[in-house]
Amino acid sequence: MFAISNKLNLQHLFPSKVSIWKLRSNNPMRKSQNFTNINIEQFDGLIKITSEMSKYLYPYIRAIVSSKDNYLNKPELWNDFQTRFIDLIEERFNTESIIVKNLINYDFNKDYITRILLTLSLASSEEGYNRLRFVFANL
Amino acid sequence: MLHNKYSFNQSSTELVIFGLPDYSNNDNNDNISIVSSWKLSIINKPEIEGSIDHLKSVIKAFYKCAALALLDREEKIESELIDLNLDESGSYRITLKSTKPNVKPLKLKIGYAEFSDIINCFDQLKNFNKIKIDFNELLPKIQKKSFLYFDKNKFSNTIIPPLLALFTISIFAFISIYFFENKSNRNKNISMISNNSNIVIKIK
Repeated sequence: MFAISNKLNLQHLFPSKVSIWKLRSNNPMRKSQNFTNINIEQFDGLIKITSEMSKYLYPYIRAIVSSKDNYLNKPELWNDFQTRFIDLIEERFNTESIIVKNLINYDFNKDYITRILLTLSLASSEEGYNRLRFVFANL
Repeated sequence: MLHNKYSFNQSSTELVIFGLPDYSNNDNNDNISIVSSWKLSIINKPEIEGSIDHLKSVIKAFYKCAALALLDREEKIESELIDLNLDESGSYRITLKSTKPNVKPLKLKIGYAEFSDIINCFDQLKNFNKIKIDFNELLPKIQKKSFLYFDKNKFSNTIIPPLLALFTISIFAFISIYFFENKSNRNKNISMISNNSNIVIKIK
């Protein structure tokens, strides 16, 4: 993330890895929370970084989504991703929370994971940044 | 006449645009301002082609569908030329209607992967400066969730049960008050006077 932030010339918003980590720990579902104010420029910068990261990861994202589309014939990739996703959530998020419990439940989290992957795949094009901004403006 | 052709690719999808420059708009030879035809090829699916009106309808429907998917909202997308809806199995069902008489609508079923590939191709087209298509009219206009916006199901599930409970409690309260008032009126009609040992009860 830090490398992409530098590539996008966002050093003034995210001067170090710690500054990005601090923003990430604003997530109330994490085990270690840290409430800091995010200004509009930083918020915009995070959207740019998300869009740029999804460009790099698009082949992988597409392969996982494709595995979900053809689950009967090619379930391996989707299953691997779901397992890894749950492992990471268990490692870093507060598993006592009901929302997090739903995220790590194999039956409940399919739609959520699909939505995340679809959002990232739609954010991976040249219009990805504008699309994400449009979505945040209309939430 | 100079005929230009540009193609946009993304994984399983290819979009090809054919057209001509508009010299009255000072276009260069390699520009396309007048789209004569287009075709969209998806692996293992029939080829889609048509006029500029079809292309605009298809782009508009796909962009709106993408916005709705990101906002996690469900809405039927139907127009004269295309219907595009998400089915229960998580696939997009597309119905393309021809303007020619006696031509049956073409029905396609695509997954999320093909859907995002198609959106990616349209995004490439939008950002390609040699093809001049006005995308402002094609971008989705989605009503923002305002104070007045409400989901009928959510409304009925959240508001109606407490209202019914309140209504029931009110009826019981009114019935209780009615009986209490009748009882107190009956007591008012009976007065008791006690003078030492003589007790007189007057019933009015």
